Amino acid sequence: MNSHGQFRELIEAYAIGSLDSADRALIEAHLASGCAECVKALEEARWLVSQLAHLAPAAEPSDMLKGRLLQTVRAEAAGGPARQQAARGAAIPWWLWAGVAALLLFSVYSAWNEQHLRNAVANLQQQAEAQRAERQKLEQQFRAAKLQAHEAMIWSDPKSVKIKMPPKDPNMPQLEAMWHPEMGLVVRGWKVPSPGEKRVLQLWLIPKKAGGKPMPSVTFWPDADGTFTAMVENPPDALSDTQALAITEEPMGGSPQPTSAPMWVGGVS
Amino acid sequence: MFLVVFSPKGNDEVSPDATLMQQLLRRDVSAFEELYERHSRIVYSLVLRILRQGFTAEEVVQDVFLQLWRNSARYDLSRPFVPWLLTLARNRALDHLRLKGERQRRREEQTEEFPQIASAAPEYEKALDEKRRAERVRALIGSLPAAQKKAIELAYFEGLSHSEIAASLHEPLGTVKSWIRNGLMRLKEGLQATS
Repeated sequence: MNSHGQFRELIEAYAIGSLDSADRALIEAHLASGCAECVKALEEARWLVSQLAHLAPAAEPSDMLKGRLLQTVRAEAAGGPARQQAARGAAIPWWLWAGVAALLLFSVYSAWNEQHLRNAVANLQQQAEAQRAERQKLEQQFRAAKLQAHEAMIWSDPKSVKIKMPPKDPNMPQLEAMWHPEMGLVVRGWKVPSPGEKRVLQLWLIPKKAGGKPMPSVTFWPDADGTFTAMVENPPDALSDTQALAITEEPMGGSPQPTSAPMWVGGVS
Repeated sequence: MFLVVFSPKGNDEVSPDATLMQQLLRRDVSAFEELYERHSRIVYSLVLRILRQGFTAEEVVQDVFLQLWRNSARYDLSRPFVPWLLTLARNRALDHLRLKGERQRRREEQTEEFPQIASAAPEYEKALDEKRRAERVRALIGSLPAAQKKAIELAYFEGLSHSEIAASLHEPLGTVKSWIRNGLMRLKEGLQATS
């Protein structure tokens, strides 16, 4: 199935809101890319999902609810003219007293208005901050989704070469890698113990050329569950010139040459 | 091809609901009352099904209709009204379900984000009136296997994710995903068949 087909299969679940976060980020990134067919399919799916409301058993709200609503709505509809009428009534008799009252009111209003403006500015700043945070979150999700999609393409493309990486220590898990000649290299592992303090794992490309030195590549470390995915979009050497992949434990930041024995080695066929 | 033809309604096909919404812009209370009469039952039924408490459901319905009144200018008259209203009501009810407490109160004080909904209804929408379409929807979903129907209800009425539904029904994640997608496809095909 092509990647568009995979996205298409997520549309209905996205419309009903049942996608888990990873899939949701994927489809949102795809929709943001401007796929007209999926945007149109989503519109129809949203209409279809709204029809599920008819599954709810029929029920009737109380008359009190309608009464409350109409009372509020009538009061709001009448609010503008009523206030204007009140203002006109207060301005007619006792102009002197009205002037004093107006001055007092103006002072109170000024103080209130200042506070109100201060609150409004604080609210606006809060909203801007929240929007910035939301945008950053979306950008992060988009980047993660893009990376995930890239990895998925490498993993599923028939041109990719699978490389098994058995451990030197039989108690360690086997790793696996997939190398696509154009899209890059992905190495994955599960249940991998964390390297020592201030140490990282580093990937090496062992060249076919006799006497060639190992080429340093990415450094990485597994998460709390021992899972990792290391992505190399531009490997330092070509697939055809590489004899094997190896992983060693190195000081934080990586090394230009291996400083420890390889923990995993996988031949590139 | 999965997509069906969409037919945006032209100006000469303005629905009664769109006309009433236009009247709301002029603060017409009788238009609001008529909209309430036309749609309060389905909105209340949906919200009550989600929240299962009559008092809370009425609070949410009141909130939905006040949003309609106060923010009518933000409604796009070219969009189908009922699906839009139902989506707004569902979102508000699910928010109420998930976000009780301070976070929700803050949200209620803000201007409501109106939901996204189809800018045009599919062609087959016109084949049945609202009442007959409701019966058809109930019959089509009712004909699904019980577990599949339950999965769709958990997604729509409880707002659960695929993983949460799989855990709740003790079924594999892949099965739940297929149930929901296939169930909705069957609903669509069933509604299309009547056009």
